[in-house]
Amino acid sequence: MSQSLKPYLTAVRHSLTAAVSLEDFASQVAERHNDPEIESQRTPEVLLNPMVISRNENEKVLIESSINSVRVSIKIKQSDEIEHILVHKFTRFLTGRAEQFFILRRAPIAGYDLSFLITNLHTDQLMKAKLVDFIIEFMEDVDKEISEMKLFLNARARFVAEAYLTPFD
Amino acid sequence: MLNLESSNLSLEKTLRELFTTEKSVSIDRIVSDFDNTLFHISTPDPAEKTKIVLSIFLKCYNDLVKYGDVDSYLRNAYNDSQWYTVLDQPEDGYNFSIFIDLQQISTTVLASPEEMESLIAKLSLLKRNALAAPFDVAFKRYDVLAQEAAVKNVDLYVPEENSEEATSVINYREDETIYIRPSHDRVTVIFTALFKDETDKIFGNVFLQEFVDARKRSIQNAPQVLFSPYEPPLELRGLPEFQNFNYGQQSATSKYDKGFVTFVLFPRHLVPQKRENTITQIQLFRTYFHYHIKASKAYLHSRMRKRVLEYLKILNRAKPDQEEKDIERKTASGRRFVQRI
Repeated sequence: MSQSLKPYLTAVRHSLTAAVSLEDFASQVAERHNDPEIESQRTPEVLLNPMVISRNENEKVLIESSINSVRVSIKIKQSDEIEHILVHKFTRFLTGRAEQFFILRRAPIAGYDLSFLITNLHTDQLMKAKLVDFIIEFMEDVDKEISEMKLFLNARARFVAEAYLTPFD
Repeated sequence: MLNLESSNLSLEKTLRELFTTEKSVSIDRIVSDFDNTLFHISTPDPAEKTKIVLSIFLKCYNDLVKYGDVDSYLRNAYNDSQWYTVLDQPEDGYNFSIFIDLQQISTTVLASPEEMESLIAKLSLLKRNALAAPFDVAFKRYDVLAQEAAVKNVDLYVPEENSEEATSVINYREDETIYIRPSHDRVTVIFTALFKDETDKIFGNVFLQEFVDARKRSIQNAPQVLFSPYEPPLELRGLPEFQNFNYGQQSATSKYDKGFVTFVLFPRHLVPQKRENTITQIQLFRTYFHYHIKASKAYLHSRMRKRVLEYLKILNRAKPDQEEKDIERKTASGRRFVQRI
């Protein structure tokens, strides 16, 4: 792990742990409704201030919390076109399986690549520390994975080109 | 599967099947190949099941006739055996037909497997041979130009003055073209690189960059490869379709971005003993290139799929352990707890 990644992840971890303190909260606007307040945004007094933790302009995390739900959005590093494509494909893969990843949001927030939505129902059923662990582990891993795939593509291209050009000899 | 075969495997199998089966059957089979090529193997007369016609359809046949005199080239290539004859009038809807009489073959050739295999191999190379015609013409033209240059004592690798040498234009796919241009010290083969998919285009650029760099790095004897992502290379600027090209600015009208991949074949690749190999190899460039783009995409796809499953496992750690529900518990004296409903 590089030197600047560690403090970044530590900051995200602590902020997330603090933000994921959720409780059941019935809607004050519509009777017998109980929806994630951060998504409906109809009760301003239960929304907390959103927070951005950024490593640099290409990599940042947005944490928006409310009384019964937290929305975490991640922007993954994309330094060139290939990484952009790989990130896009990868996040599409994840969001396509949002049903299984119960905390994953189907569509990311504008400006970010991937969003999670943690509600009080999730924290009731799942262990909070492990949820935070998952998000941190994901962030740590995804950059590595993307750059590995990029390296693989280059290596393969090189091999293929050489294999094609050798028989001319 | 790193290098693609230039023969058609499906055609090969069909022929082998026909040659080896005892009972003669009537057949009507269409086999497709790269670049919209079609083969048709049929028994035109149901009464005579041993008489087989093998036909080929190529999208660029007219170009091949124009620039390669493909008809006589193929006739020349396929008159070396008594087991098949080229039909004067090709089958309807096809460009070139070969007639094979199984009865004649079965008696003699089938006794020796080598002879049969070489016959099958020759027939299944039909597409490669058809596409070889313009290359052959261009290489012969290079011979002539090289000799003239030797007589006139022209220095090798001096930029040529006359750019009037004819360029063969072969539209082998819709919107995709091979240009072949002979000159006294080289033959330039230019492929258009067209990508209908944005991802393919970016992956393609990565691949092409490696093709360009390969020569610098390890294989010094390979043909020089150049890639121009938008502008046609100098060799093509005389052609009518590039007359009105806006140099130096991106076209907004073109549906796809068309790039140009230039292969410069040096005299080293054009010596008679290497010629056939060079033709075989260069023909397959587009197919090979696109095949490997798709293969890398497929690999990345499966890799991502695997990785997503791993993330799922990590997330599942967050689930608290399932309490053992249906286990029977007993006290020390052996009494059981049973829920009364």
